Amino acid sequence: MTNLLGHQSLADRRRPVSERIWSVYWPLIVLITCITVIGIVALWSVAGGSFAPYAERQTIRFLFGMGLLFAVSAMPIRFWLTMAYPAYVLAILALVAVPLVGYEVGGAKRWINVGGFSVQSSELMKVAIVLALARYYQMLPHKLVSHPLWIILPLGLIVAPVVFVMKQPDLGTAILFATVGLTMMFLAGVSWIYWIVMAVGGIVAAPYAWDGLRDYQKERVLIFFDPERDPLGAGYHIMQSKIALGSGGLSGRGLMQGTQSQLNFLPEKHTDFLFAVYAEEAGFVGSISLLGLYLITVLVLMSMGLRCKSQFARLLAAGAAIALAVYTTVNIAMVIGVLPVVGAPLPLFSYGGTAMLTTMFLLGLAMSAYVNRDETFRS
Amino acid sequence: MAVKIPGSGHLRGRFTRRMFMVGLGQTALMGVLGARLYQLQVSEASRYRRLAEKNRIGIQMFAPTRGRILDRNGVALAANREIRRLVIIPDLAGNLDEMLDLLSRIVSISPERLDAVLRLAKSQNNRIPIHVKSGLSWEEMARINVMMPQLSGVETQYGFTRLYPHGADFGHLTGYVGAVERFEIDGDPVLHLPGMLVGKAGVERGFEKRLRGRGGNVKVEIDSKGHILRTIDKTEQIAGSDIALSIDSRLQRRAMHRLKREKRASVVAMDVKSGQILVMASNPSFDPQRIASGISLADWNQLLTEPGNPLTNRAIRGQYPPGSTFKMVTALAALEAGVIDEKKKSYCGGSYRFADHTYRCWKSSGHRDVDLHKALRESCDVFFYDAARKTGITALSAMARRLGFGQTFDCGLPDQKPGLIPDQDWKIARFNRGWLDGETVLAGIGQGYVLTTPLQLAVMTARIATGRKIVPMMVKADYTAERDLSEPLGLNENHLRLVRNGMFASVNEAGGTGSNAQLAFSDIMIAGKTGTSQVARSASNGHDRRLKWEERNHALFVSYFPHDAPRYAVAVIVDHGGSGGRSAAPLARDVMTDLVQLDPLKTPSNGPGNLTGDQLGEGEPA
Repeated sequence: MTNLLGHQSLADRRRPVSERIWSVYWPLIVLITCITVIGIVALWSVAGGSFAPYAERQTIRFLFGMGLLFAVSAMPIRFWLTMAYPAYVLAILALVAVPLVGYEVGGAKRWINVGGFSVQSSELMKVAIVLALARYYQMLPHKLVSHPLWIILPLGLIVAPVVFVMKQPDLGTAILFATVGLTMMFLAGVSWIYWIVMAVGGIVAAPYAWDGLRDYQKERVLIFFDPERDPLGAGYHIMQSKIALGSGGLSGRGLMQGTQSQLNFLPEKHTDFLFAVYAEEAGFVGSISLLGLYLITVLVLMSMGLRCKSQFARLLAAGAAIALAVYTTVNIAMVIGVLPVVGAPLPLFSYGGTAMLTTMFLLGLAMSAYVNRDETFRS
Repeated sequence: MAVKIPGSGHLRGRFTRRMFMVGLGQTALMGVLGARLYQLQVSEASRYRRLAEKNRIGIQMFAPTRGRILDRNGVALAANREIRRLVIIPDLAGNLDEMLDLLSRIVSISPERLDAVLRLAKSQNNRIPIHVKSGLSWEEMARINVMMPQLSGVETQYGFTRLYPHGADFGHLTGYVGAVERFEIDGDPVLHLPGMLVGKAGVERGFEKRLRGRGGNVKVEIDSKGHILRTIDKTEQIAGSDIALSIDSRLQRRAMHRLKREKRASVVAMDVKSGQILVMASNPSFDPQRIASGISLADWNQLLTEPGNPLTNRAIRGQYPPGSTFKMVTALAALEAGVIDEKKKSYCGGSYRFADHTYRCWKSSGHRDVDLHKALRESCDVFFYDAARKTGITALSAMARRLGFGQTFDCGLPDQKPGLIPDQDWKIARFNRGWLDGETVLAGIGQGYVLTTPLQLAVMTARIATGRKIVPMMVKADYTAERDLSEPLGLNENHLRLVRNGMFASVNEAGGTGSNAQLAFSDIMIAGKTGTSQVARSASNGHDRRLKWEERNHALFVSYFPHDAPRYAVAVIVDHGGSGGRSAAPLARDVMTDLVQLDPLKTPSNGPGNLTGDQLGEGEPA
């Protein structure tokens, strides 16, 4: 049977590219197109009913990203298996290089903001960490999954990039790496004992960590969780964002009619806070529909993972699903004032080129897993 | 799928179970978000809508005016230019065509601009202000203000641009401002305002907090149409403070002019008592105005890659081997260690042998019998090779740090380089190899690993001249005679006298290497020391004029004057200038001549601070 499977997968790999492209999971393509189109309409409205400058460019990026998604899913999945570790090493090197390069160039270059290197390197890692962990658990015999030694290794893979992005400092991305990484380990089957120990340890350690903070740090944390303590500073965004959402009501004010967003009370309204603009203009009906679309997309990605035979493919799809879920949750939670402002865009929705490409790349990997769901890597 | 791969079914089952848990967890999380959205948008909607619409409280922030940067005499080195803009809010304007027609009769507006305004008004929300004209003159402003009662929906707004009136002469000192970037946001809400500028380099960055000021805000009630109903609360913005630097702009300009005769060079002049920096010039330089008014990427890249790095302030970021200017450090360390004294003589036959190596003196025929006085005067290398080796690197590096090397100074100039004062620990950390005594020999004449900046050389000179721990200062008001916090260095006064006399001899006695620095004023005597430091190990000694420019030696000169009652210290480095005596000393002399003529420390009462009496009283030309 092993041979038979091997044979089958060989045949699979010989499938022409055109056939592989046609065998993608179309419902996913439809879902992400819907989300992006809603985002483009919101961007059109933010610019006062104009395609320039945001909507136009976002459309081009989406088309480009869609091309990338298809390209990634059309590559043989073995290619991604082979590339997993090299990509991770490359991403780590890029993260290490950021402080060095940044230091040498001094204040001057940062001002022009030519490269945006710090963004690029952590974007690369968003893809690489999913690949590397999936590759790791593909290789690891299942009996060793809960062995302490074989837990330390993937933990290291997760902790290293978390530490680097925390230094930048980019809390949003650090949360993403940690959550995606740990959830992938959970899915890979790491024993419950570890999760219980971690949860208990976290609860016990929290008060000590709090005592270790300086006063100004405590104040900052308090403002994070209760922005109204500082209405002109950190709390400003959140208050304005909540007013925008609330004044949208059940059915919204209509396109271009959101007074909050149109009158510039909202900061970063085309990027991290675009959801607030949309929610004001489209109301609860619009915002809950968008939230539902995201949830369905995440669940669809997960179900694609369930249909895969290899651990690698399963974890690729799961990794993409979790990344999408974490960013969506963190962004919306931040906009509605449940979480502190950490700087996380809403995937596919917020204006931004690199984030769009990263998301599409991850979705392409999930699609590749789906297209090659019968591959077992045993031949 | 009849046969199961051992374990794989179990694995897949577990994956499926756990995936269900994660999926459920995610659904629950999104459910919470959905519930919160319901609460905000449906349950509490009326409350928020009231906040937003009926009596919405708008908070408008106003940027503070940025403080100016002045020189010690009040000349503006960085100032603000107010820009006045005319905007119109179509929603409040009533009939827009009529209003624009009326406006264009008051101020001139190009037909294209009028078309653009009308087009924008049709295509976007009519509550967004549309920019009609910028750069209004005072006259136009006044005319609009007179007509204001008849103009509805018209507003004039103020903004600022930064002005650097003196171009490249002060580029390194003032630095420049630019738009706020994400990493610069420090919790101050004014940074979020459009058009806000922050310091990116030089004093603009070093004193950012003092220059910026505090933003003001107005809380107003706005109705659903965006009309302001009343002002609830107002906090005035507090303008940033002006900063008066210790720099003398007349001297700085003359120094920059003089430096242009060299390809790359820098000079620092300092008040030896207060540490106030009077001149800090570095050539090549750049025009901060060009950067602050928006430089194209191509031009910027050109500035970044241009040979000579015009963006680099060599006075604080140029790290050079100090060469013979370091010999005062060696002398003081050796005197303190007791390995030399006033009378102790060495014999210089043109070279020094130690541990199978031959270290040459610059004078290959040798200096014969040399004591400390003669060694400083004629810059004999052999004397200091021997003194350094006997003193040892630990005491030598400690003395160098005491005199101001190997450190940066907290004086409001960002991006200083610390230079390098090597010792045993450093060598091990850097190369994982032990220190060699031969390296001490080289360090004794300021070669080998030793690196210093022009600013540090000026500090050393001031410290030797006063015997006190002088630290550089950029701001005039930070020093008064009553607030003099400098402590004594704890050096033996007799040792200092010997070194100062050696420096005096180097300039004024026959055979001295620094005679080119003598001033034309017979009553002002200076003390100084030349330095000629090797760039790289090249076959020849680096003096040769036929060498390629980049291979020539760096030329250095440090000095203080008047010798009997020191007031000013000057440090000069000419990159690849060939020889300290030939190219750095004359440059220092020209800067010192300007110092004598303009005498920036002269008190209005012409007290004892007055350098020269009456014959040079014409010192206020600019």
